[in-house]
Amino acid sequence: MRKHWGLLGIFLVVCIVTALYGKNFLTAYNLMNLVQRTALFSILALGVGFVIGTGGIDLSLGSVVCLVGIAVPWLLIEHGWSPWTVVPVVLAGSALIGLAHGLLVTRLRLQPFLVTLCGLLLYRGIARWMTGDQSQGFQGEFAELRSIAVGRIPLPGLETFRLPATTIPLVVLAVIAALFLARTVWGRWLLATGSNEAAARYSGIPTARLVTGAYVACSLLAGLGGMLFIFDVGSAQPSDFGNFYELYAIAAAVLGGCSLRGGSVSVVGIVLGTATLQVLRNSINLLGLGSQLEFAVIGAVLLAGVAADELVRRWHAARLERRGAG
Amino acid sequence: MGAGYPCCARLRGMTIHRTVAVLATALSLCTAMAIAPAADLVAAQKERIAGYAKQPMKSPHLSFVSNGVADFWTIAKAGSLAAGKDLGCEVTVVFPGAGLSDQKRMLEDLVIRGIDGVSVSPIDPKNQMEVLNQIAEQALLITNDSDAPGSARLCYIGMDNYLAGRQCGELARKGLPNGGEVAIFIGRLEQDNAKRRWQGFVDGLLSRSVDAERRDDHTKPFTEAGYTIVGTWTDSFDRAKAKANIEDVMTRYPKLALVTGLFEYNSVLAVEVFRQAGRAGQIKIAAFDEGADVLVGIREGIVLGTVVQDPYGYGYESIKLLHALTQGKLDAIPKDGVMNIPARTITKDNVDAFWSDLKAKLAAGKAAK
Repeated sequence: MRKHWGLLGIFLVVCIVTALYGKNFLTAYNLMNLVQRTALFSILALGVGFVIGTGGIDLSLGSVVCLVGIAVPWLLIEHGWSPWTVVPVVLAGSALIGLAHGLLVTRLRLQPFLVTLCGLLLYRGIARWMTGDQSQGFQGEFAELRSIAVGRIPLPGLETFRLPATTIPLVVLAVIAALFLARTVWGRWLLATGSNEAAARYSGIPTARLVTGAYVACSLLAGLGGMLFIFDVGSAQPSDFGNFYELYAIAAAVLGGCSLRGGSVSVVGIVLGTATLQVLRNSINLLGLGSQLEFAVIGAVLLAGVAADELVRRWHAARLERRGAG
Repeated sequence: MGAGYPCCARLRGMTIHRTVAVLATALSLCTAMAIAPAADLVAAQKERIAGYAKQPMKSPHLSFVSNGVADFWTIAKAGSLAAGKDLGCEVTVVFPGAGLSDQKRMLEDLVIRGIDGVSVSPIDPKNQMEVLNQIAEQALLITNDSDAPGSARLCYIGMDNYLAGRQCGELARKGLPNGGEVAIFIGRLEQDNAKRRWQGFVDGLLSRSVDAERRDDHTKPFTEAGYTIVGTWTDSFDRAKAKANIEDVMTRYPKLALVTGLFEYNSVLAVEVFRQAGRAGQIKIAAFDEGADVLVGIREGIVLGTVVQDPYGYGYESIKLLHALTQGKLDAIPKDGVMNIPARTITKDNVDAFWSDLKAKLAAGKAAK
């Protein structure tokens, strides 16, 4: 947590400013919305965090979100498949996409940027082609299935605040990811691969398998995220669904302390980074700043957050050094 | 020094001559390359049409270009292709999926393919004059759905977005006769049809006089005649963002009485959000276009009604007009250059009949590849 003081500070400042000057920031309804949005985007960011940890990048995840988000209602409504088939099929499909990325990066030695940039174009293209550019929606059906994302779980002692159902997959995934990174040798190896792949390989770490695994995890989580997004929104248009979500995910991961040079992943940081982005977008609306300013405000605050993080880190390192010298 | 001077003068003279010559050539090249003014281009198109009167084109290649991708355009596609079939001409329908630059590229490609006539819904007409006029140089140009005033287009086919916006505003006023807080959601406000629709809604709601040129500031809230327009939110077609906008506005304005979604999915998402929040029916919705959830909402009584355009008519009439022009029938263009295909208001009374007709047209558009 220590390395997230800067980010936590920014998060708290944005929350406090919005609570003081915005309207109804602390109402149960708004907090439920914020938890929901943070959970949805965190799932994407966790996946890309792993890939970034290996020193790679995944630009295709927005298009995977689109492909899955389109495929789910398309298969359910247009083709009449059962949810019991659709869910495993789209998740397996997402994992296969990740496997293809991983193999192209590790076996064919293609640049991750290039592989996933092509993926970005390819999957959106497939989504548009297979639906004939038609928007896909649930048309009022599958309410039970959609409750995986839109459901709200009552909490004992709280009347108005009910926990968005998407929190459950996020917490499960975050705990697994944190345990994997901190408690398993594979987690250590993954970070070692990201820090210095050649050194890791020479010391006998199966780097190719780890990198491939990271891409599989990333696309799988993008697929899961895409499914939850479409359950949440209800309908999607192949040409714009999930546009730029890869950038939101990457921004959240980097903001949360994942180094683009690889070797560093923080699950807490990723969730906090995502929450900061979502609160920021919310606060722009609640403060009545107008959507024209949105990107400018997000850009400025992110820059301030990253800079603050770096300054805190340096100050801390300098203090340790002084203590060591003393 | 003295010996050198005339030499320098000669040199300088040559340089000046050469510079002048180069400049003159460049200028003449530029003039040749520059696109003629819109009026000249309209005249040139009319001249070509007069030529077609003597020698009609046998099977012209015509195109219908949308401003994006939506069910709305699929219905327009069905209309375009049906007209192509009826009139025996080749019709290419293209849907730019990635905004302004995508539409520009597709239009340029059509010109390269030697298209004879184009009906386009320009995304940002003011900044697209060049590409629109480029088409007008090579082919017959008309606009549909959203007009490009000042361009070399021969005719605009579509509804008057200002009047359609007014219809929606009047619907809202009827549903909320005693005033209250109103929020407006719209995909984006850059395009001409969006601006006019927005202003029409405001004027209709506030029962102002008809003035399509009026422009209120959409960035600031304002109160008039008992109604407070709390704001206008755009989303650049990101549905998750559009949904978040509605949720956030509900949070910020607990007394919100009515919302309008001026693009199809804005209304659909309003229905979705109010259902999820358990406030369906409490906050009124005046909708635009025929999203399935909006029509269900009208049936259930949680949506006041919706204003619908006739995209099938846009497609059919576009191709019919372009075809007539390639046969030299200049009088097919209405006098004021606008072919109005008026919007309709759908409420609980006529929603069922409207829906079954819509399904048939959409199925026809989907079946066409």
